[in-house]
Amino acid sequence: MTGHLAPRPGFVLDVDRNSPPIVFHHGEGFRLEKLPAGRSRVIYPAEPLEGLPDPDGAIRHALLHPIGDSEPLPALLNPGMKLTIAFDDISLPLPPMRRPDIRQRVIEAVLDLAAEAGVDDVHLIAALAIHRRMTEDELRHAVGDRVYDAFAPDGRLYNHDAEDPEGMVVLGETPHGEDVQFSRRAAESDLVVYVNINLVAMDGGHKSTATGLSGYTGLRHHHNVHTMRNSRSFMDRENSALHASNWRMGKVIQDAGVKIFQIETTVNNDTFGRSGPLALLQKREWEWSTRDRMQFLGMKSGLEVMPTNAKRKIFSSWQAPYALTSVQAGEIEAVHEVTTVNVYKQHLVSVEGQTDVLTMGLPYICPYNVNSIMNPILVMCLGLGYFFNLYRGRPLVREGGVLIMSHPTPWEFNPVHHPSYIDFFEQVLADTTDPIEIERKYEKQFAEDEWYIHLYRNSYAYHGVHPFYMWYWGSHALEHLGRVIIVGGNPAAVRRMGFQSASTLQDALEMASDVVGPEPTITHIKNPPILMADVT
Amino acid sequence: MKALQFRRHLPRYAAARLAGSLTPGRGAAAGPLQLVDLEPTRPPGADWVRVRPRLSGICGSDLATIDGRSARYFEPLVSFPFVPGHEVVGDLDDDTRVVLEPVLGCVSRNLDPTCQPCADGHLGNCEHTSFGDLEPGIQTGSCHDTGGGWATAFSAHPTQLHSIPATLDDEDAVMVEPTACGVHAALAAEVPDNGVVAILGAGTLGLVTLTALRAYTSPRTVVATARYPEQRRLATRLGADYVVTPTEIRRAIRRVTGSRAIGAPGLGEKTTEGVVDRLTGGADIVIDCVGSSASLTDALSVVRPKGRIVLVGMPDTISLELTPLWHREITLTGAYTYGTEVLADGTERRTFDLATELVAESKLGSLVSATYPLSRYREALEHAASAGRRGATKIAFDLRDEKERIS
Amino acid sequence: MSPVRRAATMARSLAGGLSFPWRPAPVPTGADPVPAVRGLGADYDTSWARRYPARIARAAIIESVMRPTMAVIASPARRGLDRLDDLDGPVVFVANHHSHADTPLLLTSIPEPWRHRVMVGAAADYFFGNRIASAISALTIGAVPIERTKVGRKSADMVRDLIGDGWSMLLYPEGGRSPDGWGQEFRGGAAFLAIKCGVPVVPIHVQGTGRILRKGRNLPRPSRTTVTFGDPLVPTDRENARAFARRLQAAVAALGDESTSDWYSARIRAHAGTSPGLTGPDVGAWRRAWALGNRDRGSRRRRRRWPAL
Repeated sequence: MTGHLAPRPGFVLDVDRNSPPIVFHHGEGFRLEKLPAGRSRVIYPAEPLEGLPDPDGAIRHALLHPIGDSEPLPALLNPGMKLTIAFDDISLPLPPMRRPDIRQRVIEAVLDLAAEAGVDDVHLIAALAIHRRMTEDELRHAVGDRVYDAFAPDGRLYNHDAEDPEGMVVLGETPHGEDVQFSRRAAESDLVVYVNINLVAMDGGHKSTATGLSGYTGLRHHHNVHTMRNSRSFMDRENSALHASNWRMGKVIQDAGVKIFQIETTVNNDTFGRSGPLALLQKREWEWSTRDRMQFLGMKSGLEVMPTNAKRKIFSSWQAPYALTSVQAGEIEAVHEVTTVNVYKQHLVSVEGQTDVLTMGLPYICPYNVNSIMNPILVMCLGLGYFFNLYRGRPLVREGGVLIMSHPTPWEFNPVHHPSYIDFFEQVLADTTDPIEIERKYEKQFAEDEWYIHLYRNSYAYHGVHPFYMWYWGSHALEHLGRVIIVGGNPAAVRRMGFQSASTLQDALEMASDVVGPEPTITHIKNPPILMADVT
Repeated sequence: MKALQFRRHLPRYAAARLAGSLTPGRGAAAGPLQLVDLEPTRPPGADWVRVRPRLSGICGSDLATIDGRSARYFEPLVSFPFVPGHEVVGDLDDDTRVVLEPVLGCVSRNLDPTCQPCADGHLGNCEHTSFGDLEPGIQTGSCHDTGGGWATAFSAHPTQLHSIPATLDDEDAVMVEPTACGVHAALAAEVPDNGVVAILGAGTLGLVTLTALRAYTSPRTVVATARYPEQRRLATRLGADYVVTPTEIRRAIRRVTGSRAIGAPGLGEKTTEGVVDRLTGGADIVIDCVGSSASLTDALSVVRPKGRIVLVGMPDTISLELTPLWHREITLTGAYTYGTEVLADGTERRTFDLATELVAESKLGSLVSATYPLSRYREALEHAASAGRRGATKIAFDLRDEKERIS
Repeated sequence: MSPVRRAATMARSLAGGLSFPWRPAPVPTGADPVPAVRGLGADYDTSWARRYPARIARAAIIESVMRPTMAVIASPARRGLDRLDDLDGPVVFVANHHSHADTPLLLTSIPEPWRHRVMVGAAADYFFGNRIASAISALTIGAVPIERTKVGRKSADMVRDLIGDGWSMLLYPEGGRSPDGWGQEFRGGAAFLAIKCGVPVVPIHVQGTGRILRKGRNLPRPSRTTVTFGDPLVPTDRENARAFARRLQAAVAALGDESTSDWYSARIRAHAGTSPGLTGPDVGAWRRAWALGNRDRGSRRRRRRWPAL
């Protein structure tokens, strides 16, 4: 029914005595929490914007009418050329979207133009930097069977390999002395077409290519504690050192003669569907129907007795019915400006003033555990990295405040996907949780470990250095916060990360008052569906 | 004279084994160990002297005996009934404070000429263990004739005694004997310079071996396993670069050595990628201070080809897959007690002298966590058996205030 | 008349064959026969087959008879279904035609929401020749009679009404099954109907059914098949039926190219206008048969083994 009304923007609820308990995501489950009346508020995300009525038509239009200093795509294509199409990997969007994936639509449109121009030498690269390789099923889901069957069998569609000594090249150095490392195939192509899905404001722009097609040699210049602490937040490009570095690198890539045609797309907030079993997660609690309420009770109690593996299977099979809200193509910076406007249109919610205590319910998924286990390091990264940084202006929580997040935080790892995470957790965090110290003492060794490199290149493992980046992602929050409390987590795992563990939100609030004093103000960020707080 | 005496009593022995298997240290209550009033022992020879213990430690091998877990191997090497206790600091009749080097070699057995190892100063390797004037017993504390440290008095041969400087207090002194074991083990390990060493176990033996390793060898990295937070803290203090739990040792050694790893899939498991069951390279040296089937399996999984495993913890009859030992040409060697050591610079020193210095340097007396009077021996033994879990390392009997000793 | 006599009369008449009034009286010589209201062929009224009882029966037959049968004898690979994702409302499906296996295969391949609201254009002379055949055709495959050669006004009106009611059509523009394994030129009928009704046309290419039951055979032989759905095509304003039919044929040919090679190579050839034609080379019969051998890849798609995660 809501589909017919205009989507409502995000909204801040001031909790009073009559406010219902709020649903918190809690890994593969949910908690219902009553927030203290009179001093709490809940930030609700905006309702999903309407998708474009004719996505394929819009994509074609974007390719033929580029933005910024760029010719239309057909004018850039000629028969003898070397064309490389790079696309975002499994970490986008979250959760994975229903077929057809946006990448498939865009890539087919690009390839159709390339076919019209008679381009023979085409490579497709999953621009995963140092993420794990995508499996055949995942690639098929992203690019579609037609493209997969046309290009994968003879090795023209593949995962980026940042540790292939033959396959990588250093294009130069930025004025800040940063090495710009790039995929050799992309560097030697006459045209690189990048196909992006912009789920959050951090994605896209020069980061797509400068990060996605790079490797440790390049990444270490911006994926480090110093940069992350100076990105406030890394979701806000104008104020992000991470992006400044990527933009400098983008310039070097351009100056090296690499021509990039950037295609960026945005999706709406339809994460859990307008109908179906999870639809209630994107409704406001007081608007739940009787059916929603019964469904929630049934689901909650069912999940409580279900074995963890079964729950993971069920949740990871969820595919979001995301709709395309915009597509723009052409010259990177001009395109990204428009993309950012479109992302903000869906995500921004204005919030007045900071809070003493910020609460958040962490869901079952983050960018790095698609079809996998959300291990404690990823819990930290999602809470202190992603959710904490979903702000513009200043952080939602005041300096020295407390962050309370809810997640089961199991002491569990997927050894195939996250081998170096296990060692990071067992050996590095047992020694210290200070990002600076970790970076100084351990990063190089993990990054150069032969076994991790072997697993990254041949199996489906994240690169050895990846858990460090997870920790750095939270370093701005670690520096800013007075205390971090995890509700309902495995106490040993929580302690290992230097956080405190509480069994209920009430206990956690009690513990928080040791730091921020009695009767603190509380803000709950009800994410996902995604929202970004515009804090004044 | 008051003493804890261990008799040959099969039903009690069986009871101890049962009780000890349920709760470690419980063998004391059910088993053949009893607190008795004895006539003072007759010295086995004219030159023997009386020692009145001040502190007397409880060792892992003592606990094994009391819980009935001791190997049948030792049966012909002991003489019943005996008084346990071989980690002793005590007073002579002229009030000189001494520590006991408990091994009973050829000289104390009044054998002349001595066997070759004894002549070379390697008492622990004595070839005449159950011969000579003494009844069988490889050490004081397992020989009927000498008595043992868990009593208000026992007999010792002058060659067994080392006087100690006044700067060492009794707690330090009682640690000299176990420290000597650690020194011997560390030197027996033949650690290559810049090598990687794993020490399994952070009980008394593990910690003193670690200390000795740092003092007398120069490895690049030492990784220790510890199950409990206090052990972790101590291992870090005494020089371990990384301390991990026993389940984490394979990954830790893999990372430290930059080795690759192999996973062995269980039935029904599909993948082994990213799983670490054994290493393709590994540590140069593994020092096993536990001696169980599990710890030796770990040792064989993490030692490099042609590497060396030193067994310091006393094993029993255990079951062990030895294929890696054969395939990777691993050396497995034991390290028992002490004698004479050759240091890196070629000098020869008595292990006990080295240990005495090391105890003073590293303040190992702090490892003595609790002391008990003889009358509370059951508590003492239970505490010793669960020392790690209870945050303790070394438990000892304190005999300084026993009535019989003073009189 | 005594009962015995009556019985005797009946026995006599039975022995001599039934006579009037048991049989119709022959037309006397000299009288002109009245033309029969045949109600067959293109005139057969199939509206009963679109009421609920028949629809339910047809759905049951499709799901419980055709689907398992097709799974066994055709092991179909269905591709390109995602191209229909943005489509709704009635459409005209056009496919190449090799075999009687095509219709059951397509009826089990066409996705919801069209599957159970699709009528099949069937040759009026062949499927609607007599009452029993007509009833079976209408009931089991939802056939509606269409003239092979030139779509008559009656057929056209009927189809337009059907589409107006939300029904979709499945048509074989070749006008009949392939005689030799190669396709035939598309006739204008399907294009004409689509233009007339203003609905999109989904081209479909069927590969491999000729090996199962080609024209002239009665016993099916199991073989692998591939059904490839193409992007919906909409007639442009100035396009006549013949031009649109040519475009449809090219689209089906490109799909055929896609199903035997790969999508991108097929697109390159389609844009260059060099897709291998449906109708095969214009040469002698044996050379046509010979060339056919090269088209069927026939082998199972090799899948690389990936670890299960």
